[in-house]
Amino acid sequence: MTSSAIRLTGVTKRFGKHTAVDAFDFEVPEGSIYGLLGPNGSGKTTTIRMIMGILLPDEGRVELFGSDPGETRRRRVGYLPEERGLYRKMKALDVLVFLGEIRGLKPSDARGRALSWLDRLGLSEWATTAVQDLSKGMQQKIQFVATVLHEPGLLILDEPFSGLDPINQDLLEEIVRDLHSKGTTILFSTHLMDQAERLCERVCLISQARKVLDGDLREIKRRERRGVVAVGFEGDDGWLRSPEILSQEAVGDALHLLLAEGTDPQIILRRCLEAGVEVHRFERVEPRLHEIFVRHAGTEAATGGGGLPRGRVATASAPGRGGF
Amino acid sequence: MGTVWAVIKREYLQRVRTRWFVIATIGAPILFLGLIAAPALFGGDVDEVDRTLAVVDHTGVLYDGLAARLDAGDFIVEPAPGDNLSALDARVEEGELGGYLVLDQATLTRGDVIFATAQQPSALRALSLQQAVAQTAVEVRLGGDRADVEALLRGGNLDVRLAAGAAGGVGVEDPRFLVAYVGAFILYMTLLFYAVAVMRSVLEEKTSRIVEVVLSSMRPFQLMLGKILGVGAVGLTQFAIWIGFVTLVALTGLPALVMNQPDLLSMESIQAFVPGLGLPALFVLFFLGGYFIYSGLFAAVGAMCNSDEEAQQAQFPVIMLLVVPIIFVAGVIQSPTEPLSVGLSFVPFFTPILMFARVAVGGAAPWEIAVSVVLMAVMVLAVAWVAGRIYRVGILMAGKRPTLPELLRWIREA
Repeated sequence: MTSSAIRLTGVTKRFGKHTAVDAFDFEVPEGSIYGLLGPNGSGKTTTIRMIMGILLPDEGRVELFGSDPGETRRRRVGYLPEERGLYRKMKALDVLVFLGEIRGLKPSDARGRALSWLDRLGLSEWATTAVQDLSKGMQQKIQFVATVLHEPGLLILDEPFSGLDPINQDLLEEIVRDLHSKGTTILFSTHLMDQAERLCERVCLISQARKVLDGDLREIKRRERRGVVAVGFEGDDGWLRSPEILSQEAVGDALHLLLAEGTDPQIILRRCLEAGVEVHRFERVEPRLHEIFVRHAGTEAATGGGGLPRGRVATASAPGRGGF
Repeated sequence: MGTVWAVIKREYLQRVRTRWFVIATIGAPILFLGLIAAPALFGGDVDEVDRTLAVVDHTGVLYDGLAARLDAGDFIVEPAPGDNLSALDARVEEGELGGYLVLDQATLTRGDVIFATAQQPSALRALSLQQAVAQTAVEVRLGGDRADVEALLRGGNLDVRLAAGAAGGVGVEDPRFLVAYVGAFILYMTLLFYAVAVMRSVLEEKTSRIVEVVLSSMRPFQLMLGKILGVGAVGLTQFAIWIGFVTLVALTGLPALVMNQPDLLSMESIQAFVPGLGLPALFVLFFLGGYFIYSGLFAAVGAMCNSDEEAQQAQFPVIMLLVVPIIFVAGVIQSPTEPLSVGLSFVPFFTPILMFARVAVGGAAPWEIAVSVVLMAVMVLAVAWVAGRIYRVGILMAGKRPTLPELLRWIREA
């Protein structure tokens, strides 16, 4: 049995009347790569801040590597917060050495590691440039180096891909995969479902302060297969307006229908035939993470926070254009 | 401790390496030296022609006394007949003569005198001529000894006899006044400067959001402590350089200066400038106490704000605490044993500046110093406790600045 890098038990955090995180149970096994998913405002950052001891939970318990976290234990964590910043007037290398030192590295070690990371990311010639004179992309890379400099056993990345251009997103993804293959446990939060789908072994979906789904991504998908059907048809789309169909989305030349929990796809097929449209495709498809999320958290949760691109969830007005 | 040390080191090196530090540390003593040397540079008329004066005396009684005075004031004086002023004018124009004075009955009665010269005299030159003429007139009309008349005109000695047990203040002319005043002012400026530097540093970490990364590796209080110690060490470095500089000047430059300008610096005032070890040691102690109090308060102010503009407003009450002693310092120096002076100097927020001023003029008993230092130390701990709590909550708090009730809740609940 693998031990857990992070374990939260019944963790609750309130800000005034607003409950940001509600009775949250959560466990990240060592060596896993875990996605904490949810729209903005769902409680991801608050959860992460409690893991990092920046906020204290009102109720519940946080454990790191099997016991109560203290500064020493937290130093084994590499933390990239959602809102990033560096000392603007310091030289890039000096910032890295400082951040290495406060996590217990010797200055000379910190310097050596920083230089090799800068080299790996093609930033060697910028080592002695003040941070404020670097481009935004470079600053983000420096920030990432600062996160991994002390070779943490656990990486916690809060929205690591936001604000990065595609090239740097790929670079970061590659580094994350590389660290994971070397045994680093990785927890990252994101509202980009596609990214999570590519990277994660396990996901935890939260919405409005509560956990809605948690577990192995492949298993979840298998379990959720019943939930999505792809249809291709020609004719009137009036039959799509039914309580069993949560949303519809054009994917390729078919229409993906997201079905309410417990709905038998056969019912939909029957309804479709009863409507008298010409069906040329009807099959169960593996749902995308996005669809799973919408199914469990509801459309309003997915779009309400503004975190999900709204256009992705088609509304009932979408015409039933079937492909040929 | 390693993390606090890393914070101290970062704050210290980042500051000491900057241009302003070099300018302020090296520039300030040079400016100070300039202020001392300026009178020596501008005071005397170096040009011999400018110092050569002719005196036309229509009264017939003033010349001897005036010549003696001007002679003592480094002028070269010659008598001139009153019937050929145009010849004197010609000599002035040709640059043979610095100018000439015409003394008549009005000089004897009112001290009025004509000074014909090629260019507008400096204020100092005009004043020295005016005084020499007036003193001579008084001397002639009064009769008697020259030195007595001068003393009379200047105002004689006020021989103060204090009742037993009373400690006296000092007047403006006493060199201790200068030491107290300059010392208090340097304390005020450095306390303000370094405490505000702490605030800016807190604010920088907060607005740049790096604080979240830093705080994932240490407790907020460790960060605040490291910051305060690091910035304070910069202040002490600056003092060390200044004290070294002053010592150097005292050992090399001052004797030379005294030789050139014996009136400017008497032996007594040198002794006042280079007091025993006690006063500088107390100065550093009061700086440290004040610095820990004010840097804590300013750190809390920085932590509760989200921008420089907000901090500008929020720091106002704390700055007022520093301004109060500066408003009272002149009064305290003149009457250091008045109940108001004593009372104010025991308020820990004012102790650094006001108790230093009282000590500098010899107006504080040793037990008073001891009590004020203890009170100050208690206040340092109290501020650390309160500011540490405000800092802990505020540093991660975005949004609007807390109101006073909210602030009190932070302190209670943190």
